[in-house]
Amino acid sequence: MAGAILALVILILLPVLTLLWSSFAGSAGLTLGHFARAFSHRLYLEALLNSLILGSWTALISVLIGVPLAWAVSRTDLPAKGFVRLTATLSYLSPPFLLAIAYVNLFGPNAGIINDFMRNVLDAPALTFNIFSMAGLVVVTVPHTYPFVYLLVASALRSVDAGYEESAEILGAGRIRTALFVTMPLVAPAILSGALIAFVNAIALFGSQAIVGMPARIFTLPTRIYALFDYPPQYGIASALSLVFVAITVGALTLQRAYLARRSYITLAGKGVNAAPMRLGALRWVVLGFVVVVFVAAVLLPYGALLAVSLSKSWGLAFWRNLTFANYHFVLFDYDPTRRAIVNSLILAAAAATLAALLGAVVGWIDLRTETPGRRFLDYVALVPLGLPGIVMAVALIEFWLRMPVPLYGTLAILLLAYWARYLPLGVRAANAALRQVDPSLEESARCLGAGWGRTLTEITLPLIRPGLFAGWLLIFVPAIQELSASILLFSSNSITLAVAVYNLYETGALEAVAALAIINMVIIGAAILLANRIGGGGAAERAGVSG
Amino acid sequence: MTAIRIDGLSKRYDGAAAVTDLTLAIAANQFVTLLGPSGCGKTTTLRLIAGYLRPDAGSIDVGGRVLSSPQSVVPPEHRGMGMVFQNYAVWPHKTVYENVVFGLKLRRMPRQEARQRVERMLALVNLAGLGDRYPASLSGGQQQRVALARSLVVEPDILLLDEPLSNLDAKLRERMRSELKALQRRTGITFVYVTHDQAEAMALSDQIAVMHRGRLMQFGTPREIYGRPANRTVADFMGLINLLPARIAAAAGGSAVVEAGPLRLRLALPSGVTDGARVVLGVRPEAVALAMAGAADAVEGCVEEQVYLGNLSEYRIALADGTRLRVQAPAEADFRIGATVAIAVDAASCNLFTDEGTEETP
Repeated sequence: MAGAILALVILILLPVLTLLWSSFAGSAGLTLGHFARAFSHRLYLEALLNSLILGSWTALISVLIGVPLAWAVSRTDLPAKGFVRLTATLSYLSPPFLLAIAYVNLFGPNAGIINDFMRNVLDAPALTFNIFSMAGLVVVTVPHTYPFVYLLVASALRSVDAGYEESAEILGAGRIRTALFVTMPLVAPAILSGALIAFVNAIALFGSQAIVGMPARIFTLPTRIYALFDYPPQYGIASALSLVFVAITVGALTLQRAYLARRSYITLAGKGVNAAPMRLGALRWVVLGFVVVVFVAAVLLPYGALLAVSLSKSWGLAFWRNLTFANYHFVLFDYDPTRRAIVNSLILAAAAATLAALLGAVVGWIDLRTETPGRRFLDYVALVPLGLPGIVMAVALIEFWLRMPVPLYGTLAILLLAYWARYLPLGVRAANAALRQVDPSLEESARCLGAGWGRTLTEITLPLIRPGLFAGWLLIFVPAIQELSASILLFSSNSITLAVAVYNLYETGALEAVAALAIINMVIIGAAILLANRIGGGGAAERAGVSG
Repeated sequence: MTAIRIDGLSKRYDGAAAVTDLTLAIAANQFVTLLGPSGCGKTTTLRLIAGYLRPDAGSIDVGGRVLSSPQSVVPPEHRGMGMVFQNYAVWPHKTVYENVVFGLKLRRMPRQEARQRVERMLALVNLAGLGDRYPASLSGGQQQRVALARSLVVEPDILLLDEPLSNLDAKLRERMRSELKALQRRTGITFVYVTHDQAEAMALSDQIAVMHRGRLMQFGTPREIYGRPANRTVADFMGLINLLPARIAAAAGGSAVVEAGPLRLRLALPSGVTDGARVVLGVRPEAVALAMAGAADAVEGCVEEQVYLGNLSEYRIALADGTRLRVQAPAEADFRIGATVAIAVDAASCNLFTDEGTEETP
């Protein structure tokens, strides 16, 4: 227990306090100077404004995509619902910075193959699109964020009693009118809540904002903070800007919680009995067409492009004439950092997932099963990283460990600490959910028979929450393997990670090689998911089989 | 065997009193039931006895050793008690055998001996041959017996049971009830049993402790609790009763005439009650006899409602002053709605309560 508290203090509390301290610390005592600069200098105001614009547009478009998909899946007789779910899952899983790279290959102002096609084959320069713009930034961000809206709204829709809709229809409202004026208002809290989550996630992404934004001189909070670490690093202003970033994130998440809490009155009102799904008729083809467009834009086009680029000698309209595996050979065998990055990322992701799941289990256990004073506070501290965008987490860790006598900066260890802390909330949530499934009487009866708490934990509690913990592990492992936002400030040539390797290679301009590395990245992620599913799913199914 | 002494026990949750100043002496080898409506503090009391909770005041003493006090609580694993939970709490990831043998393994019993003990115990609770099954493939009643076997196999001095039958259907409940009673007699273990079902409490217990709002209302045999309830709360909780406003008249020599509407009964007078005092008369529905009207001095009433229940008939009788009496009579007598009947109340089985509802009738 003491270990868990110590871990939380070192992982989260001290770095955050250091961040706070250094945002107020001047050369002569405390000062508001850093904040004054953050709110007066054009560079920083612009970054703040751009982040807000990006977040708002992304949230709006995520709603416009996520809500119809959720409605179609949960309330209508749309064919191929599995395809909708697959589209949402793939969109969510695809790393946003890879998507950005793919879109640069398609819509880069000069080399983008679609722009090239419009200009030189169709002779229609009006149809070209410059990806290096705010609109382009929104386009590469939305595929990662609309699934949040989709998931929240779909689950809310499932709990709305069909009786509400049926009574509207029997009063003479048509299908669309019912959907727009009866169903949607009922799930409005879920929609708003999803929009806020989309907002928070959109503004936190470093990779896509660096790849698409910086060439257009569109700086956002993460990229501006990143730029502040160019020599000489400006810690004070970086900390102040980070805190502003945290304030926006926490504010949005607080609002989101409030909206989500309001959803409950809907689920209470209805019994959740769903009658026959709404018949779409001819409309189904429109909806299906919409799904296909989303699939093409978010999955098929970018990954098709990456694959094509990775196999071409030189990317352009005539790429198919000279297909080659040379790019793969280059990134795997000639480009030095690749293999180290792969190994590092696998180690980091596995270690971070294990540590976060374990610490999460201990924190959840203390909160739910003991009377330790201050256990609620422990739980809150463990959830603090939710409000810290990746780059802010990195800034906090750097400033804390630079002050420590232990030379951690530039090692794999500081990356591990960053990942561990970043993904701890996922571990806590998984453990919480798993522990709530286990009735305390199962543990109490072991105590009563003479088992101490250690024995009870190993013989009763852990075996019972194992499947839940494993699900949490997986939930951490997959994003950790492609982490970029925090890694970009923390890596060194020895501790380079997969996503950083891709980003650095992209910076050198070797588009074909980057695409090959991106595809390798995707293969690793895919293999990890499959493997973990096999192990976890198999074990869980076997267990469910024996015990019912 | 061990007696449990509970002395001045109190427990509050977030400021709300769950148990207040509870004093109770449970003799060894007894089947004792803590009875009361939900929220009366009975489960809290049980969990205090088990050592899951720390009392705010008072102490629990078992076999002359203080196990719980506000200063220190011996943890559950060192109390040598067994506990059976309402939801059985059978571990879903262990087989029936593994569930039952768990406590013996903790006690480092040699494998062979442990196996024999478990087999014997499974046979005792009618689960012989089911040792390799997982709990999910067992019925609720079978799971309950696994929980029982798991608690009993370690031969505890005291077995605590928290509404163990409430999740079973009525038929099974009935059968498990008699099995539990037989098991307690055979093993001689002190059973402390929590329930809100007064019929269950009556059927099982040597002694019943009736609790209400965290306080002990009465502790006694089922016969005492039903026949001589300590107050209106107990009387009301233990089966049906008519509670009639009444007045003491003509008190003389330890007894008095009690007037309740047209009823006149001679009853023993509770201490401290004087002539003219307002009291409440408790009349059980089966203490009223109905007869065809006719006798000159009999109190008469009108049948307002009749419900035939098979083994008896239940009536609602309106008396002349509007008082309504609930009456249970043998099924063969058949009084129709609207009929006028003569009423005879068995004074010996009636109880007087002062209005505050705390005074006991001798």
